[in-house]
Amino acid sequence: MRAIRTMKFFGSHSFQLVGVVGLQLALVAIALTVADRVHGAERSAMHEGNVPAKLAYCEDCHGPSGQGFHGYFPIPRLAGQQTAYLKNQLEAFVEHRRTNNIMFNVAHSLSPGMISALADDFHAFVPPPLGGGARHLVPTGEKIFQNGVPEANVAACAACHGPNAQGGGEIPRLAGQLPDYVFNKLINWSRERGQIPSKPDTSAVMSPVAHSLTRPQVEAVAAYLSYLK
Amino acid sequence: MTLDKGPRRILSRLVSARAARCSVVLSFVLSGAAYPKDAEQSASTDQLQAKIAYCENCHGVAAQGFHGYYPIPRLAGQQPEYIKNQLQAFIEHRRTNNIMFNVAHVLSATLLDGLTENFQKLNPKPLTSPAPEDLIAAGKKIYEEGIEKSDVPPCAGCHGPDAKGNDQFPRLAGQLSDYIFNKLTNWSKERGQNPANPDTSTIMAPIAHSLTEQQIKAVAAYLNQLE
Repeated sequence: MRAIRTMKFFGSHSFQLVGVVGLQLALVAIALTVADRVHGAERSAMHEGNVPAKLAYCEDCHGPSGQGFHGYFPIPRLAGQQTAYLKNQLEAFVEHRRTNNIMFNVAHSLSPGMISALADDFHAFVPPPLGGGARHLVPTGEKIFQNGVPEANVAACAACHGPNAQGGGEIPRLAGQLPDYVFNKLINWSRERGQIPSKPDTSAVMSPVAHSLTRPQVEAVAAYLSYLK
Repeated sequence: MTLDKGPRRILSRLVSARAARCSVVLSFVLSGAAYPKDAEQSASTDQLQAKIAYCENCHGVAAQGFHGYYPIPRLAGQQPEYIKNQLQAFIEHRRTNNIMFNVAHVLSATLLDGLTENFQKLNPKPLTSPAPEDLIAAGKKIYEEGIEKSDVPPCAGCHGPDAKGNDQFPRLAGQLSDYIFNKLTNWSKERGQNPANPDTSTIMAPIAHSLTEQQIKAVAAYLNQLE
């Protein structure tokens, strides 16, 4: 637009100036082309180029194919995880509803497009579980997972997480999760989740369950889940 | 994703349950020697409150219903006799549901009375799933008039014009639509599973069979938004 107006302005003056106008037009055209190319590059990076790099970055801590990994902390399996759950948790880190300084820093720089792409990729991964739970606790864990502990008012995990612990929507997959990660989360539930009282979230559903389970029961459930495919 | 009132109510209930326990202890201390009968009563009140919280953990805040892995039915406003009958059916494997078998078989008669009385009194808004208006209208017609040509009687005949039910006939108003759909499409695979011990579920068997999937969807959509 500016180029056209400039051209008209100069065009009403001497013939000599036409060359200047032409140069200006050429410059504008070059600038536009470059801007277009940069913009295009950004877009393709957001949708393709950067995703593999970011995925590799996630896997650096969360293990190959998001299988989970034991760093200083047990770092959870993301493979097969529900996309809605992943998005919700990343948002919770950003809003400090869920406290984790490392994941806050990871999460707050991710664009919505990137989050969707990563969540889809992790959901599609199916590496075998890392295992690691105490084998002798597995039958007890299975019983608690499928039936709950009705005498202690512990709801059956399967009612929400599904009989195969695959989860659904905002309810996470638990199958194949690291046993020490599951243990740590359940023991510390109300100190890590739902940390903004004015902004309660779905983590509240788990509070009474986490409180009612004893430590040995938590260990047993974690052992059972650690081998589930 | 945040929730508004639901979890907040769960939280405040937890807090108040804790406060209630503290006050029980406090009154015990203040009265010097509490009468054993008083202690027993507050223990059972506590027990009931804990069990209600346990039920609502899956059946939703104020027993409004909840979408876990399965649609978990609304119990609010439900007929006590129906709930008791179903819990018994789970125990006797007349109605198959592993989770509810385990839940049901530890409930005492006193707890059952307390729980069913509590749920009947609750009146939260229905937990609705969006449905097109014309589907709801079609459901209302089936509910009130039945479908004569396929021998489906009007649902209102037993469940009442407002779908509030009566005694053994369950309330259907405000029930989760996917729960209703699942129950009606699987009726004879889940209910009346002990041929030696037939129950009232047989009344529904021919009706569930005669309704098409589309008709079931319509009735479910209508019932879901009924207060």
